[in-house]
Amino acid sequence: MKLLSLPERLGLVSYRNQAKSEIKPHILVDTDICNSTCPHKCTTYVCPANCYTKDENGKVHFQVEDCIECGTCMYACDQGAVTWKFPDPEIGRGVTWNFG
Amino acid sequence: MDEKFDCIIVGAGVAGLAAAMTLARNNMKFLLIEKGEFPGSKNVSGGVLWGNDLAKLVPDYWEEDAGWERFINHRRLTFMDDQSTFSVDFKSSHFNDPPYTGVVVLRSKFDRWLAEKVQEAIDASDYAMDSFIAPNVLVEEVLQKDGKTVGIKAGGDEFYSDSVILAEGVNNLLTRQVGLQDTYVPADHMLTGVKEVIRFDQKVLEDRFQLNGLSGMSNEFVGYATNGVEGGGFLYTNRDTISIGLVLGLKDLREKEQTPYDILNEFKKHPVIADTIRGGEVVEYSAHIVSSGDKRVMPEKLYKPGLVVCGEAANLLLNAGKAIQGMDYAMRSGILAAEAITKAKEKVDFGEEAMKSYQTALEDSYIMKDINNFQDAVHLLHDPVMTQKMPNLICDFGRNFFSIKNEPTPKSRNMLRGAIKRHASYWELIKLGAKSAKAL
Ligand SMILES: Cc1cc2nc3c(=O)[nH]c(=O)nc-3n(C[C@H](O)[C@H](O)[C@H](O)COP(=O)(O)OP(=O)(O)OC[C@H]3O[C@@H](n4cnc5c(N)ncnc54)[C@H](O)[C@@H]3O)c2cc1C
Ligand code: SF4
Ligand code: SF4
Repeated sequence: MKLLSLPERLGLVSYRNQAKSEIKPHILVDTDICNSTCPHKCTTYVCPANCYTKDENGKVHFQVEDCIECGTCMYACDQGAVTWKFPDPEIGRGVTWNFG
Repeated sequence: MDEKFDCIIVGAGVAGLAAAMTLARNNMKFLLIEKGEFPGSKNVSGGVLWGNDLAKLVPDYWEEDAGWERFINHRRLTFMDDQSTFSVDFKSSHFNDPPYTGVVVLRSKFDRWLAEKVQEAIDASDYAMDSFIAPNVLVEEVLQKDGKTVGIKAGGDEFYSDSVILAEGVNNLLTRQVGLQDTYVPADHMLTGVKEVIRFDQKVLEDRFQLNGLSGMSNEFVGYATNGVEGGGFLYTNRDTISIGLVLGLKDLREKEQTPYDILNEFKKHPVIADTIRGGEVVEYSAHIVSSGDKRVMPEKLYKPGLVVCGEAANLLLNAGKAIQGMDYAMRSGILAAEAITKAKEKVDFGEEAMKSYQTALEDSYIMKDINNFQDAVHLLHDPVMTQKMPNLICDFGRNFFSIKNEPTPKSRNMLRGAIKRHASYWELIKLGAKSAKAL
């Protein structure tokens, strides 16, 4: 059977408030920490939705749009860079699982 | 809102719904708050709900064709190397009749169905018009006054109650807010779960897994499945889909610089798994943190005046290799929490001691007895000899044992000796054997 890439997998996820252009991010990342003292930048490979990425210069970026609220980064980041909350049902993003 | 509830429950997962059902039956006035669009919409499990507590909440649930997927009468534990699988397989008609000892569920469907049952219980209670299930509301804060819990804050509004049950799941922000869990919980005893739901033609699924009617199979995996990372894999049959996934030790994942969805694809590519899932279509990809069952991450105290914590918010979970038990623990602890709150209301005392009776009941239940008894098994699952060398050794032995080559066949004892030599040292096995004997 065909193996899916991550974008194909995320394409199957139902996100909330997708019609809204302005959403309130539920996770805040202090990327100054990522890009100065973080020794492993682990969120760029352990996040199951690839919300943390490294650009060609090795600089860490974060986007919340694809987040599936799993919680991984809240535990994985031991550098204090992640402020983790649940999305607001009205003005946040987040998921609605069809199967779960 | 001036109205005061006997209890506010945060979270309509398995724990919160079990608590709500119990409160409704005990004629209590409560509010059950859920941040998702509907109960279950935010929840992920493997998942088999083990045991028979469900029948306490919904008697004769098996007579309804809703909520749950299949009952388990076939179990398999598989050791895996890069080419082979070696399984311990048990199937028995002994498990065919209700009450079942395990049912597979999909949470988006199951929790929603259970919430309907809770609503029916509310409708039949004295507080049919005063108890509510409120979805789409995020609880931001637990309100405390003079050391007592007085309610919650959500959407800028305050809601008052004599008590609060936190059933918020493993990402327990409010348990942290009230100081029962550290604000930062490290990755050490946490796992990241990734999962796919794969759809088949129902007939194909039933034939492939030898299912009969609503019977189902559960399969756990150790070894190559997790590509060198601590943890394990699972495969469960639903009505016309399967749930397949991995739970991966987060600290190990970080140290080994691995990515969960890549490992999942490697697992699916394994020749044995590829044959098993051939022709299926992925209909959902999901992920969620799950705790390990290691007591070191559990909050020591699960109560405060007017407040108790149940389910995975209290890190109540056991993954001792042959099954993940999180939902049955959530269900039982939710029931125990609601019983303690009901007693407190009768005695008009929601103080520290009254809430402590919940934790005492939990200690006396199978949940804490098993968690305490199987700590060594939990550690064993995170031992590289167990998760890597052992499966390789077993598969190597299997390959030799089952090969018939038209040449003199060595005695099994010698085959085993060879396999051990290739994959581990006797010393490692002696240590592992001693540990296993103690753990199980
Ligand atoms: C990949 C994977 C496989 C698993 N397999 C199994 C299995 O086979 N068998 C098994 O028994 N267990 C399994 N588990 C574990 C099981 O899913 C959990 O232990 C179980 O869901 C815990 O139930 P709960 O009710 O405590 O929490 P949850 O199910 O997480 O429910 C918590 C609820 O609270 C809500 N909530 C949280 N915070 C707030 C807030 N502030 N305001 C409003 N609502 C809030 C959430 O939206 C959610 O609905 C698995 C877990 C994973 C991730
Ligand atoms: S681990 Fe923390 S500090 Fe490091 S890159 Fe990730 S978010 Fe940034
Ligand atoms: S919660 Fe999970 S999906 Fe969301 S950013 Fe963190 S690791 Fe990624």
